[in-house]
Amino acid sequence: MIEVVLNDRLGKKVRVKCNEDDTIGDLKKLVAAQTGTRADKIRIQKWYNIYKDHITLKDYEVHDGMGLELYYN
Amino acid sequence: MANRTDPLAKSIRGTNPQNLIEKIVRSKIYQNTYWKEQCFGLTAETLVDKAMELDHIGGTFGGNRKPTPFLCLVLKMLQIQPEKDIVVEFIKNEDYKYVRVLGAFYLRLTGIDMDVYRYLEPLYNDYRKVRQKLTGGNFALTHVDEIIDELLTKDYSCDIAMPRIKKRWTLESAGALDLRKSALEDDFEEEEEKEENEQLDDGLEDGAPEKDYYRGRSPTRERDRDRDRDRRRDSHRHRDRDYDRDYDRDYDRERGRGRERDRDRDRDRDRDRDRERDRDRDRDRDRDRDRDRDRDRYRVRDERDYGRERDHEREGRERDRRDRDRGRRRSQSRSRSRSRDRKDRDGGEHRKRHARGSTSPKRRGHEDGREEPKKKKEKKEKKDDGTDHPDPEIAEANRLRASLGLKPLKL
Repeated sequence: MIEVVLNDRLGKKVRVKCNEDDTIGDLKKLVAAQTGTRADKIRIQKWYNIYKDHITLKDYEVHDGMGLELYYN
Repeated sequence: MANRTDPLAKSIRGTNPQNLIEKIVRSKIYQNTYWKEQCFGLTAETLVDKAMELDHIGGTFGGNRKPTPFLCLVLKMLQIQPEKDIVVEFIKNEDYKYVRVLGAFYLRLTGIDMDVYRYLEPLYNDYRKVRQKLTGGNFALTHVDEIIDELLTKDYSCDIAMPRIKKRWTLESAGALDLRKSALEDDFEEEEEKEENEQLDDGLEDGAPEKDYYRGRSPTRERDRDRDRDRRRDSHRHRDRDYDRDYDRDYDRERGRGRERDRDRDRDRDRDRDRERDRDRDRDRDRDRDRDRDRDRYRVRDERDYGRERDHEREGRERDRRDRDRGRRRSQSRSRSRSRDRKDRDGGEHRKRHARGSTSPKRRGHEDGREEPKKKKEKKEKKDDGTDHPDPEIAEANRLRASLGLKPLKL
């Protein structure tokens, strides 16, 4: 179980507990449940790399405590 | 300048019509090449030409959410705001299905409730295939009537939040709309008659009048017609009928959805479960727990042999999880039989309230043997879900994950 921090730099900072083998799509659903936006409106990025929905966190090498950028579509 | 709404356009729902599309999606459309090149200076006539060239529908797709031409044209229509006649023409035309869908979409966004139902429902009969672009960028197959159904029932489509419209039955009860007549009504009538003939030997029901069945039969997406019909009928019975019958029966009938129609085991199970749940709530908790423990599907045969009644397994399982540690002796069952013998129903209720069950040692011993494997099975189920983790945060997180359909956290 890892904990990921998502920050949208506009006031929303969210800590989400998830598994390493969860996909980005699952992570978006968890974030949506916590922030209240729709899951398909959320975009997760790291600098200019937009993270794709079907790839797991492990494959993106997202570790415990790592910060990701939260944007909206 | 090119993105300004026509100054003569009316405001929709109190605001600029373009605001029906959210800001972020709107900005994406404004920056899109298709919008800049093709949608510049379009009028209602030239819009039709562009619409005829459409070959797929969709919202935004890709990592950076590129809008589809369909979405660009929707925004263009919102910008120029064509007359209602033109939009109705779009919908009525038979040749170009994408023009039809475009018109239907625009009407759903901007029209009043009455118009929406009046003009969109005939499109239910259009079953042509339509190509839909998904958010991943790949295409999916759908049909015109499916799209119309989405427009009428869901509140989000093609990345646009649909404005709220009144439910159909609200308008029906206000008298503004007629009852919906499905094109497949005759087929359903035949099926209905066939089933009624089959179930005549049950002899329970007062035979619901056909009128109730047809009222407000809006189409649903479910392929299971029976379940559909049952739900509609019961919901209407709930609304329209006078409950001057035996209260118990009606209460049960409401809860047990569509009991007289569907003969499946599942339906029986649902009915039993619902009735069980309701009855149980009324009764003493302790007695319920005792009664519900250790009811296993393995025991169906035994119980039928001994003529006993059985509780629903899931109920029993849930209660068992709670009571597992208490080691209380399972008392005799008073629950509803799972058999299809409907005559038992009323007799069963009576039995349920007063029966103490058999205390023959032979039966007790036999049932003890079944308890062990059932307990082990329940222990495993307890762990799988992860929602009962001692740490409340993790339990909460697991509950959320379970509701989203994800596996529990690996610790």
